[in-house]
Amino acid sequence: MKLVIDRNRCEGYGLCAEAAPDLMHLDEDDELVVDKENVPTSDVARAEAAVRACPVAALKAG
Amino acid sequence: MTRERVVVVGASLAGITVAGGLRSQGYDGRISVVGEESVGAYNRPALSKGVLAGSDGPDDIALPALPGEIEQRLRTQATGLDVERRRVLLADGDDLEYDKLVIATGARARRMSDLGAASGGVQEITFRDLDDALSLARALRTRPRVVIVGAGFLGMELASACVARGAAVTVLDQQPPLRRQLGPYLADLLSAAARRHGVGLVHHPGGVKLHGTPGSPAAELADGRRFEGDLVLSVVGCVPNIEWLRGSGLPVDGGVHVDERCRVSANVVAAGDVVAFPSAAGPRRTPWWNSALEQARTAASSLLGGERTPPLVPAPYFWTEQFGITVRVCGGLPARGAPTVVHASDEGNQMLLTWPQGTAAAVNKRMPITKLRALARAA
Repeated sequence: MKLVIDRNRCEGYGLCAEAAPDLMHLDEDDELVVDKENVPTSDVARAEAAVRACPVAALKAG
Repeated sequence: MTRERVVVVGASLAGITVAGGLRSQGYDGRISVVGEESVGAYNRPALSKGVLAGSDGPDDIALPALPGEIEQRLRTQATGLDVERRRVLLADGDDLEYDKLVIATGARARRMSDLGAASGGVQEITFRDLDDALSLARALRTRPRVVIVGAGFLGMELASACVARGAAVTVLDQQPPLRRQLGPYLADLLSAAARRHGVGLVHHPGGVKLHGTPGSPAAELADGRRFEGDLVLSVVGCVPNIEWLRGSGLPVDGGVHVDERCRVSANVVAAGDVVAFPSAAGPRRTPWWNSALEQARTAASSLLGGERTPPLVPAPYFWTEQFGITVRVCGGLPARGAPTVVHASDEGNQMLLTWPQGTAAAVNKRMPITKLRALARAA
């Protein structure tokens, strides 16, 4: 699976990074950076947890 | 030997987060999720925002589908629980046998009639699920007069969305808007914004009652002031969906009582809006997005690991968007008294605030939860 950020929706709440800190982080400007866009099978469940945690539905699993 | 099976009752955020959490922690038994709604889980906070604004459709707010190997049964209501035989009874007459059970049936909108505050044939409109949001979004096309009873978070967010669509909006409550929930400072800030947007805010300590006929609904304050609307919305909180647990012997009183690891009894955990979590004041429901997430993570982990799971120490996090203002709060609410202004932009519309009780708020400021939480702790 692939993680896709909708930049128009993302408001930097950071709940996704809290759910899966090794897959994504917020940079010094509080912008979300996805570190592993192509998610390895072993991390899919946690990537989905990050997608679910987003309060503004800005992170999608492609 | 048959494979062990977890049954999750409730297919919204809490339920599917537990189901997903079990898998990510390596659980390889069967998982069956039962949900009452006709669609899979979606982002509920977006209902009062993008969906009402007309910018979001159901696909924009759908949460990721559960992986194939998790069985999901929608449009299915649980009607009873037999703890002894370990069976969830379903409305369609079927039952599901479980080895472990997750209770995540959430809550539904409370009605004024539940409170004995509605008379006659008044048609109450409530707001809780996708259908409610789509139907209100349609009704707003005609720019109706909207009377909202209940000036809490949801009531005020709905007022904001309705007025943005050109409706004439009045919000009624027993108390000034948001004061009980947020404390005076943030409540005044948002109330002032509501008034600037043309929303009428009226309260009376004697409370509000619904009157009128199905065709012409109205709400009346205790002093006799009457407000007629094309639509009258009851937005007076939510009640936990616990009726199906009656007679099960589980501790259920105003919510499902859990311990600090979200356990209800042996092999039964609970998470989300249905849960009454231990607090200094006794078991309390905290029906917010982040509570559902943190409880669901703890519930998944304690269902598998029991005592090895660290007890959940809730880290309250809350946000609202209304009248062009976004407020994010970490720490306990209501925030009492005047805040310390840590930062304010030159125009004064962006602010970082702290209260000595250990609460921090970001107003119109993009700030991730980790930073805001650190600020709350340092307050």
